[in-house]
Amino acid sequence: MKQLISLEVNGDTHEIAVEADATLLSVLRDNLGLIGAKRGCDSGGCGCCTVHVDGKAVYSCMMYALSAQGQEIVTIEGLGTEGKLDPVQDTFVKEGAVQCGYCTCGMIMTAKQLLHDDPHPDEHAIRHGIAGNLCRCTGYHKIVEAIKTAADN
Amino acid sequence: MALVKLKEFCIPESPGQVSACAAKYGDNALILGGGSFIHGLEARGLLSEVEALIDIRKLGLAGMAATGEGVRIGAMTTFAELEKLPELASAAWLGALKDALTYPPMQIKNVATVGGCIAASCPFFDIPTAFLALDAKLTVSGAGAKREIGLAELFAGLFENSLEPGELITEVRLAKPAGRAASAFIKLEGTANDLAIVNAAVRISVDAAGVCQEVRIALGGGVGDSVVRSASAEKLLLGQKLSADLIQHAAEAVGQDISPMEDHRATAAYRLAMAKVITRRALNQALSRLN
Repeated sequence: MKQLISLEVNGDTHEIAVEADATLLSVLRDNLGLIGAKRGCDSGGCGCCTVHVDGKAVYSCMMYALSAQGQEIVTIEGLGTEGKLDPVQDTFVKEGAVQCGYCTCGMIMTAKQLLHDDPHPDEHAIRHGIAGNLCRCTGYHKIVEAIKTAADN
Repeated sequence: MALVKLKEFCIPESPGQVSACAAKYGDNALILGGGSFIHGLEARGLLSEVEALIDIRKLGLAGMAATGEGVRIGAMTTFAELEKLPELASAAWLGALKDALTYPPMQIKNVATVGGCIAASCPFFDIPTAFLALDAKLTVSGAGAKREIGLAELFAGLFENSLEPGELITEVRLAKPAGRAASAFIKLEGTANDLAIVNAAVRISVDAAGVCQEVRIALGGGVGDSVVRSASAEKLLLGQKLSADLIQHAAEAVGQDISPMEDHRATAAYRLAMAKVITRRALNQALSRLN
């Protein structure tokens, strides 16, 4: 049975009818059309569904939509402004830190918290920080370099 | 996280509301902490009968405090919050907890809770192994009554705990041990975001002459239905002057107290061999913190 909930996503309030066991990821993608967060492993192992909830990076596939009520949700679509990328997004583009792109949105959301918590991480801290995000193309080198560059900028 | 029989998602704001939901659904109500292991339980077919989820994030159970006697941690404190406890940076006796908190990725630390990781009664988790070595005591509440139990009393088999319907862990307490004490934890993992192949935590107190006054050795990561202590290894160390040979001998003895599993992560033989290795390393790591 569906129930009506209210979610704050990227600064907007959405009233949505959801099943009680709907995940935040499914609501973002299937109800709100925010397809930046990807459905990868769908079990909290790959990180491509990472979004921010009250400023913290979480696996949206592992949070029930009902549990996300009353919290501020930010997805990759909520970064930057119209026509202007967020600095971390911009760095990923300029550094070419993308292969197939499936992990990219999650990587950037994780990198955002990493750089917020530690504005000048060394390589070890970066690699440790993105340990919850997999790149199946194994393109970690450029991702790490992009996060380093974003920190330097 | 499909729960085919789910009828109600409760978000209680008082213990009375928890009891009301629990009374309605009994064994088929599941308390939800951070929710980061729901997939794990579901994949093992353990949630097929769940009719109600009780999300306890509005009960005010997050928070922590340190006193001269030890540390109190609210059950809904996340790993990320716990990591900020100032005493973790300086207190050698809390070393095992500090170590265990370094392993989970950011996304897990931000949601996984202290109470949830214990109540899940998963033998592969890390924090419960550290808590067992640190002699954690739990406050359990339900239906207006409150009781105190040791961590080991909570575990009742593989993914089973001794909580009654409607009961939940509200607080974890770690008493500061007497004397010169230190602890350490080591996890052997296949990848950075996987459950342990095997893990070990030790807490040890040694006097000025190098004699072991107290020791607790805990192992997890699929070495039994729940995290376990190694009485055999502890017995070899207690009251003895510590040496490299004795530590090696004690580490070998953990094999007498564990029943390693065989699964896609490792063979039983590998778990057994590595349990001994990481126990020795954890003992040495703890001892190095005494100096």
